[in-house]
Amino acid sequence: MIKFKINNTDYETQEGSTILNVAKRAGFNIPTLCYKEGLPHYSSCMVCMVKDNRTNNFIPSCSALVQEGMDIDISGDEVISLRSKALELLLSEHRAECEAPCRVVCPAGYDIPLMNRLITENDFEGAVRLSLEATKESVLHCFECKAYCENACRRKKVDIQVSIRNLQMFIYESHTQKRTGDALDKKQNKTDKKPRRFESRIGKMELSEQKEWLKECSEILKRSVNITDRNSASGEAESCMHCDCRAKDNCKLRDLSQEYSVKDPKDKLVNSPIVKKINHNTGLIFENAKCIKCGLCVRLCEDLNEEPALCFIHRGFVSIISEPLTEDFDNVLKTRSNEVIEICPTGALSKMK
Amino acid sequence: MYFKKLKETNIHASSCDCQPTSVQNIFSVVDEVVAFAGREPEKVILILQEVQKRLNYLPSEALKYICKVTEITPGQISGVSTFYSQFRHIPSGKHTIKICSGTACHVKGAPLISDAFKRVLKIDETRNSSPDNLFSIEEVACLGCCTLAPVVQIDEKTYGHVKPTQTEEIISDFLNSGNKSFSLFEIDENKDIDAEIRIGLGSCCVAGGSKEILSEIVDLKKKYNLNIRLKPVGCVGVCNQTPLLEIVSRENVHSRYTNVSKHQVEEILLKHIIPRSLNKRIKHKIYDFVDTFLSDDKLTSQINIPTEQREKYLNNFLNYQVHLATINSGIVTPDSYDEYVMLGGFEALKKCLNQLDKNSIVEIITKSGLRGRGGAGFPTGKKWNISMMTKGDAKYVVCNGDEGDPGAFMDRMLLESFPYRVIEGMMIAAYATGANEGIFYIRAEYPLAVTRVKNALKHCYENGILGDHVSGSEFKFNIKIFEGAGAFVCGEETALIYSLEGKRGTPHLRPPYPVVKGYKGQPTLVNNVETLSLVPWIIANGAEAFNSIGTEKSKGTKVFALAGKISKGGLIEVPMGITIREIIEKIGDGVADGRTFKAVQIGGPSGGCIPVSEADTPIDYEELTKMGAMMGSGGMVVLDDSDCMVDMAKYFLTFTHKQSCGKCTFCRIGTKQMLNIITRLSEGKATLVEIDDLEKLCKSVKDGSLCGLGKTSPNPVLTGLRYFREEYEAHTRGICPAKKCKDLIKYVVTDKCTGCTKCSQDCPVKAIPFKPYEKHDIDQLICTKCDNCRIVCPENAIEIVSLND
Repeated sequence: MIKFKINNTDYETQEGSTILNVAKRAGFNIPTLCYKEGLPHYSSCMVCMVKDNRTNNFIPSCSALVQEGMDIDISGDEVISLRSKALELLLSEHRAECEAPCRVVCPAGYDIPLMNRLITENDFEGAVRLSLEATKESVLHCFECKAYCENACRRKKVDIQVSIRNLQMFIYESHTQKRTGDALDKKQNKTDKKPRRFESRIGKMELSEQKEWLKECSEILKRSVNITDRNSASGEAESCMHCDCRAKDNCKLRDLSQEYSVKDPKDKLVNSPIVKKINHNTGLIFENAKCIKCGLCVRLCEDLNEEPALCFIHRGFVSIISEPLTEDFDNVLKTRSNEVIEICPTGALSKMK
Repeated sequence: MYFKKLKETNIHASSCDCQPTSVQNIFSVVDEVVAFAGREPEKVILILQEVQKRLNYLPSEALKYICKVTEITPGQISGVSTFYSQFRHIPSGKHTIKICSGTACHVKGAPLISDAFKRVLKIDETRNSSPDNLFSIEEVACLGCCTLAPVVQIDEKTYGHVKPTQTEEIISDFLNSGNKSFSLFEIDENKDIDAEIRIGLGSCCVAGGSKEILSEIVDLKKKYNLNIRLKPVGCVGVCNQTPLLEIVSRENVHSRYTNVSKHQVEEILLKHIIPRSLNKRIKHKIYDFVDTFLSDDKLTSQINIPTEQREKYLNNFLNYQVHLATINSGIVTPDSYDEYVMLGGFEALKKCLNQLDKNSIVEIITKSGLRGRGGAGFPTGKKWNISMMTKGDAKYVVCNGDEGDPGAFMDRMLLESFPYRVIEGMMIAAYATGANEGIFYIRAEYPLAVTRVKNALKHCYENGILGDHVSGSEFKFNIKIFEGAGAFVCGEETALIYSLEGKRGTPHLRPPYPVVKGYKGQPTLVNNVETLSLVPWIIANGAEAFNSIGTEKSKGTKVFALAGKISKGGLIEVPMGITIREIIEKIGDGVADGRTFKAVQIGGPSGGCIPVSEADTPIDYEELTKMGAMMGSGGMVVLDDSDCMVDMAKYFLTFTHKQSCGKCTFCRIGTKQMLNIITRLSEGKATLVEIDDLEKLCKSVKDGSLCGLGKTSPNPVLTGLRYFREEYEAHTRGICPAKKCKDLIKYVVTDKCTGCTKCSQDCPVKAIPFKPYEKHDIDQLICTKCDNCRIVCPENAIEIVSLND
């Protein structure tokens, strides 16, 4: 048995356990991004740093083994500030936006990009439910609204904005057959302000980014401002550029940044051309600007010999996750795309639908 | 002229003599390589190297086909072939111009050289070879010829002390030089030997022109019918005075000549050796006599200087040194097994095999106080002890020859000059720790070292030193060579092992230490070249002999590569505890060109700049760390008042940022952000607040990085801020006190100008109008600050002034 201390309390454990596991058993919570139980250790994100007071060294707890006599500091100021710095550095090359501009400005806080995705899939009911559940009311706010969303829509920079308001109203009317905008009490209009969540921002959209984002959009011919039927609705919804992050409610980086009150760095570094890769067979999407290079997706599929998986290419700051040089993105991860999306700590890997 | 040709080919840019390779050809090349390299995943680096050697680059068809015929996966081959900088995915020119960007070359103006070559060959960001596909340019971390800085290597030919104005000359010289082949060892054993000529054939000497000297001697041998024994020797360390020639006459008198040029050879030779035929003897005497009257050169040339005076400098240089790792330098032929044995080689190994048990060997090493010479200084005895105690199915010893610090070349020299000694050291380590397999990891940029070690291994096998029964004992030991593929981070032992296994060379957290769990999961002892080459001496002379040299915690000697702005640079081996000042003033003969000694950079990208005020710091692991620097692998670059500390920090950060493996957050993004701030500083755009941010960031990167590369990468900045803060602050005001940062200076013509028009002729961008007999001026809007005009001006009328004064 090894004797050691965590935050000045004595503990004992078997040889060969990592600090992370021991601390977890002792009831401490250490944040991680690049760690997943069952996969080989990697120690790249460095948000699981703890300090050994005996040597004054900082060590990544996910792969460092507990050693006799260690005096581990899990939540001291220095540790917290180093973790925050790691998050700040990761965010500085995380050129991505948690929320789409349309949703940010929407007074009711509707998840517009998600609604658009549901409409594209012809799930109209789901789309209505989504909006109504957002405000927990039975009426839609759009009838009263000046369509700030359309003003904020990034598609405006390309041609014309997505007719978000019309879409919302069309699906609402076609599913509830009533127009209850008039019944809306102005006082109730103000929804309860939720505590503001951490948001990663990109500021101005670059031309190269715009090109990549348009990859998911329909051709211009399918568009129509007046939504009259299901076809025109889904056609218009398909012109959404999906500026939001599909993992916005399921992003470890966002959650940790919130928890450690990290500020989103103003100037984002871009390490390579921003690309959005789409696997047309499985609908898997990879956006390198959101990737934090934790390598979980690579390690998860390392044993996979029969089908091409993702891998690291290049070295240093420009290293990225990519399909092998010898393969098309369409051919990678034919069977395991859901698993890699699940394991990705950010929204770098996601599914089209 | 090549340039006229270049201009012509510009019009017909399609003419290319490298034919696109057919798919069928690619397949057969891959098949051939795989047939001898093997199909295992760990062979990936070897396979890629061999395929590239044959095809010039790695076409994607080749990569696909390799995956098909071996066990290598597409992910592995993509990861590995893009990780190591040796591999190319697009074809390169027929000849590669390697421009050294090591520390010594950097401070002596390598960036200007690189710009000049790019300009002359019309290479820019969009293409990596000249329009006729004859040349491509590659900037390499360090060619290890620091004393000849700046250095350029075209294929196998090396040019030293290059000036930006010489680029055209060098290219045409390269194109005109054919490869001359000659036989070295033709001696008539029946006749008396007239003399023995020792000529240095280390990389620096070759770059200095020793091959030309050698061919000249061969010609003269025929001409005068001399029976000379030509003896190529390894590096003597006097690398700034290359080529070095030593003549041992029949009477056993040694005469040494430095800086020998081709046309002096005949004279030197005939001064010491009397030709056999009477005719030639008389003819020579007469010519020589007449010559003395006709030319002034003869009287002042080094040949006519008395011996003591000629060799005074050499003696000074060598007297303060203690040669343990480099014992017998300049005497022994690197390739000769017999000579090594004659001079006591393999005695230490035999002593171990016959008289000592494993414990006592480890004890000797522990008692000697030897510490790892790779940089961090881990006690070698302790490492051996752990290795000895650890049980494993197989045990390995790895010699870490992945020396990558820009400005350091001692490992290259040791491998080139004393391959047998390193092998012996490795075998003692293996015997003591119970290993049966050894691996030499040598970086790809050292082809000569690879050849020499290969040759030495061959001789060792032939003489029964290696094999199933090492010199007749029960000890079985085999050694193989692994060539690195160009990744600085692979000098880190865990990364090195990944690299051996055919993976991307990313370090992992220790423990587990490789000595417990390393190559193929087995205990692996990784020792640096210099460490191993000290082992035979320690065993032969005893622990006390070694630990009586040095300081309390740092014992023995350390080899340094002394370069930069020093009068007499070279490779030196000094006792620990000697002060920096002693090295610079006594061995190096002070700072070159009468300038002021400002600082010395020790430890390369992991080290720091120690200012002149602290020059009495002794060479000692702990003392150097206390100063904010690091022993590192032993680069020592002297800086003078024309060197800017911000520029130095920028240079090293550019290097670490490029060489970072990209695994951990702090090193991958932290170094990039540090570099961004330093770059802004060098452009005069940063504020004082950013300097504070930089300092905080340095602290975080130091604490938070995973391996030594990241943890030490802020050192150049931190020592800069510690000793030269005012210089950093001056940059925020737009002033570079050393007048080095390009964005903060301008070139102006002073009144000294006589209107000779030389500057105007040499200006590559025509920023200086042609005005004979008038004072010239420089158009600041066009000027690219290439430094050409300042170099060519015979009146020193061109000055660099601050842009914002």
